[in-house]
Amino acid sequence: MFSVRGCGRWAVASLTKRHLRLARFCGDSAAPGTPHFDVVVIGGGHAGTEAAAAAARCGSRTLLLTHRVDTIGQMSCNPSFGGIGKGHLMREVDALDGLCSRICDQSGVHYKVLNRRKGPAVWGLRAQIDRKLYKQNMQKEILNTPLLTVQEGAVEDLILTEPEPEHPGKCRVSGVVLGDGSTVYAESVILTTGTFLRGMIVIGLERHPAGRLGDQPSVGLAETLEKLGFVVGRLKTGTPPRIAKESINFSILNKHTPDNPSLPFSFVNETVWIKPEDQLPCHLTHTNPRVDEIVLENLHLNSHVKETTRGPRYCPSIESKVLRFPNRLHQVWLEPEGMDSDLIYPQGLSMTLPAELQEKMITCIKGLEKAKMIHPGYGVQYDYLDPRQITPSLETHLVQRLFFAGQINGTTGYEEAAAQGVIAGINASLRVSQKPPFVISRTEGYIGVLIDDLTTLGTSEPYRMFTSRVEFRLSLRPDNADSRLTFRGYKEAGCVSQQRYERASWMRSSLEEGISVLKSIEFSSSKWKNLIPEASISVTRSLPVSALDVLKFEEVDMELLAKAVPDPLKKYTECRELATRLKIEATYESALFHQLQEIKEVQRDEALQLPTDLDYLSIRDVSLSNEVREKLHFSRPQTIGAASRIPGVTPAAIVNLLRYVKTTQQRQATTNALPKTDQYLCDTDKLQEREL
Amino acid sequence: MWRGLWTLAARAARGPHRLCRRQGSGAPAPSSGATIFALSSGQGRCGIAVIRTSGPASGYALRILTAPRDLPAARKASLRLLSDPCSGEPLDRALVLWFPGPRSFTGEDCVEFHVHGGPAVVSGILQALGSVPGLRPAEAGEFTRRAFAHGKLNLTEVEGLADLIHAETEAQRRQALRQLDGELGHLCRSWARNLTKALAHVEAYIDFGEDDNLEEGVLEQVLPHSLPSACLPSPTADIQVRELEVALGAHLQDARRGQRLRSGAHVVVTGPPNAGKSSLVNLLSRKPVSIVSPEPGTTRDVLETPVDLAGFPVLLSDTAGLREGAGPVEQEGVRRAQERLEQADVIVAMLDASDLASPSSRNFLDTVVATVGAQSPSESSQRFVLVLNKSDLLPPEGPGPRPDLPPNLLLSCLTGEGLHSLLEALRKELAAVCGDPSTGSPLLTRARHQHHLKGCLDALGHYKQSKDLALAAEALRVARGHLTCLTGGGGAEEILDIIFRDFCVGK
Repeated sequence: MFSVRGCGRWAVASLTKRHLRLARFCGDSAAPGTPHFDVVVIGGGHAGTEAAAAAARCGSRTLLLTHRVDTIGQMSCNPSFGGIGKGHLMREVDALDGLCSRICDQSGVHYKVLNRRKGPAVWGLRAQIDRKLYKQNMQKEILNTPLLTVQEGAVEDLILTEPEPEHPGKCRVSGVVLGDGSTVYAESVILTTGTFLRGMIVIGLERHPAGRLGDQPSVGLAETLEKLGFVVGRLKTGTPPRIAKESINFSILNKHTPDNPSLPFSFVNETVWIKPEDQLPCHLTHTNPRVDEIVLENLHLNSHVKETTRGPRYCPSIESKVLRFPNRLHQVWLEPEGMDSDLIYPQGLSMTLPAELQEKMITCIKGLEKAKMIHPGYGVQYDYLDPRQITPSLETHLVQRLFFAGQINGTTGYEEAAAQGVIAGINASLRVSQKPPFVISRTEGYIGVLIDDLTTLGTSEPYRMFTSRVEFRLSLRPDNADSRLTFRGYKEAGCVSQQRYERASWMRSSLEEGISVLKSIEFSSSKWKNLIPEASISVTRSLPVSALDVLKFEEVDMELLAKAVPDPLKKYTECRELATRLKIEATYESALFHQLQEIKEVQRDEALQLPTDLDYLSIRDVSLSNEVREKLHFSRPQTIGAASRIPGVTPAAIVNLLRYVKTTQQRQATTNALPKTDQYLCDTDKLQEREL
Repeated sequence: MWRGLWTLAARAARGPHRLCRRQGSGAPAPSSGATIFALSSGQGRCGIAVIRTSGPASGYALRILTAPRDLPAARKASLRLLSDPCSGEPLDRALVLWFPGPRSFTGEDCVEFHVHGGPAVVSGILQALGSVPGLRPAEAGEFTRRAFAHGKLNLTEVEGLADLIHAETEAQRRQALRQLDGELGHLCRSWARNLTKALAHVEAYIDFGEDDNLEEGVLEQVLPHSLPSACLPSPTADIQVRELEVALGAHLQDARRGQRLRSGAHVVVTGPPNAGKSSLVNLLSRKPVSIVSPEPGTTRDVLETPVDLAGFPVLLSDTAGLREGAGPVEQEGVRRAQERLEQADVIVAMLDASDLASPSSRNFLDTVVATVGAQSPSESSQRFVLVLNKSDLLPPEGPGPRPDLPPNLLLSCLTGEGLHSLLEALRKELAAVCGDPSTGSPLLTRARHQHHLKGCLDALGHYKQSKDLALAAEALRVARGHLTCLTGGGGAEEILDIIFRDFCVGK
């Protein structure tokens, strides 16, 4: 065992395949049986890298299995990260010490905060990323992560053994079988195979099996999963052609420059690697009626469009845009693929026409008249597993210690994949050390909303994060992801570095102190008016006004306040992030006060745990209709809160479940100490009475 | 402990998307901290009506209605003058009881108002309570749930709780359907639709406006006239919200001046054509409400008449006979009959005893009787009485009651034979319907309406004031949450559907 780790470090020291093979060889020879890891992660995409790194951060000896080491960190679709909703996810991944935000900050070539004018709760941090730099930086990070070994290999099958009696599930996973017939034992296995399960690439009428252009699909694994009884669905997605940069006439197009200064993705970075003045521009062009014609004339050559498989409604191909919204001009963003890349990514032109027609279409677009297509766009159809078959910790109901993360669960997007990867990595590791799962609630983060939506409602189209899916949007902001998640990640999961934890602690105490200082400074409204003439304070207000209230005015910021009341406010403007965050807290203070009650209510429902081994189809002393039983049986909600969100589960069924849980707990309470959920409720009740 | 329980079921009662019902600045949150009120005495003629509150603001509400007097001694009846807290107008001289928690029915602070039973007084007090900050009308079964949550009911008492909640939810749903039938419902639904659309467009603007994919700019250039309303938090969304505000404000002012209340238990007579439904209605109401003729399909509309049955106020509806293939007017009558059936508290299903084998009778037995009649009381809170009319046409020795029929009563509208036992059966059913205080009180439903419309209006006010678009959207979410409490629906998926229908969102 030990020598495997040793060799793992060996492997990580160098990128060459010789060393990687050596790693496996060493492992085999050291243990006459087989190499044995705590956590094995299958797949080196955005979910897989985050999962492997998170498991290793949590202290598990981890193996990352991938087809090819040189595709680790590959951005196979758009050359950008973040956006509205997605940027929120990245901040949360970063708050748990995940990789993608930090790697992006080393690789971003065009930073832009979206929604700047719409309120900080919905700001969307976004950047164009240099593909090559991202891949290099990600590989460097992954190959230098302590406890993490990387190995090339295709997984063909899972090793399944008898289930652990104290957990639900019909068997447990104990390792994987590779394409060459060798085996690796594991305490937990995370599957992050993306679009590779029966992946099929479609261009025009041609189709060939592949998970990504040039990569083999996983067929054996798909069969194993189906045999185990997992419910499988099919989704499709697509990617645009790539165009040679020097063949584009940028001079006649709209140029868009990046923000200056750049706002980094990561809490630990104050600046980004590539300075704003060195960053690259993006250009905007539009489709025209000729594009519509080409699409409409050639529908018979386009099998991907005709298929009934569900594709995303928000990221449609140019074909479906033309079909659904005819006679319009559609935007095409020409995005750089990197600092020294000679490729341009035409965002908005995802298509599956035959290659020669793609080139024809491109050249009828303004600025692209002489454009050279380097490779064509294509569609991908792939299997996904109904995510109602996994728990909020991303472990499957059917197979113990088997976790799914990323596109395999029906999501789309790097950020969605990364978010699930971190959670799967943490939980796979916690499972090995027999600690309780790490679950983020809907009230705590976008990650919680993402996973709760998937596990309770499932999805019928590739799931993407939107802020409109989030009930508590005003409290789950990009600026405060650290105060929501970093402390939990540090204490419960152990996935957060000491340094980050200390930084977050400092920020939290500074914010608390700042707010109470701001509240304590009170003047009459006329005095404020004199101090800050810019503020539209009504002088008719008779009650004293606090500095926090003044900060709520749109036109007032901490700088202005500190100029008016230097003592004691000056020191809160020294850290720019702190000053900004104080302003944001002030903006939402009263709305959040009203939302707090509701957040508590949801949290209370979520604290009411349902037993994981409950057999909904057969329990006798609960009166439930067959329909409700089947729904509960399939989704296996972990809490009363989640159960109440499943469509078709009636209020009466919820009360019956509650009664069941309560009787069960009473039975337990006579033998054990006070159950956890009761304890929780007692605490909150006391709190509430005090408030009243 | 277990205080979460009732909120859950209350929220679940509002449909699967409760989470999206937002409560923000302005209206008091309908959450576990809220104080609820309801009419606790049944409908019907009664000298005294009891209105109950439960929750932390109970004492405050009592003080504010009985100002300037202080709280009375705990658990002692005291005579107090109740006045409207806004207008100061006296409402009633009433006995009030103050039960500080935990020694109360629910375990929370409770107040009982024993007021004079007229609808005007009751309505006035419910409205006055609804205007006290922190108070809202109770959801179905909420008092009982709170009692359970505070350990005031033991587990055996709770056995029936789920059934009770189900029945009450259903009864309230029917009551709400009635209330929303016609003009008001039409208004509420169109408001909810407009608001959902305005919100969808604001959400689209937030989620897609700048993510390089909502092609608003393009739309503006190309199609200036067919620009989807509210691409921007647009003038259009603003106009929609302003219009809604005006309409709601006007409605709320209007509603106070008296909107017709459909009080009483709803008894609907249904059956195949020519079973004798109209004869029964005329017999029960002792006046010729409906035209009676031997021709099938005589009654083509819903005819309703308020009657007093065994001491209970009842709204008796005669409906068109259910059959297919009739003319368009009669078909509309059949549609209305089916709609009314959904809203009924008690269904009197009527068949011609001498004609049970005919296709229309068989069809009626298979569809209506089999679905409604077969449900146990826990599945459907609708009460059901099966009547076989025209017993005078049966041969004296008779074929006897058919074994495959559910329990039924024989009646002859012509001779009056069997009327006594029918009245007795109806009395039992009505006692069950009217005796349950929290079910169909239209006064409470109206208070609930006002509460949510007011909440919606307040939230719209916040929308106007918000400079921050996230806050503005939040205000619209709250406003929509209030409306969808009345009309149902309200999930995030609904918003996304509108966005993807109206906008070409896509990279």
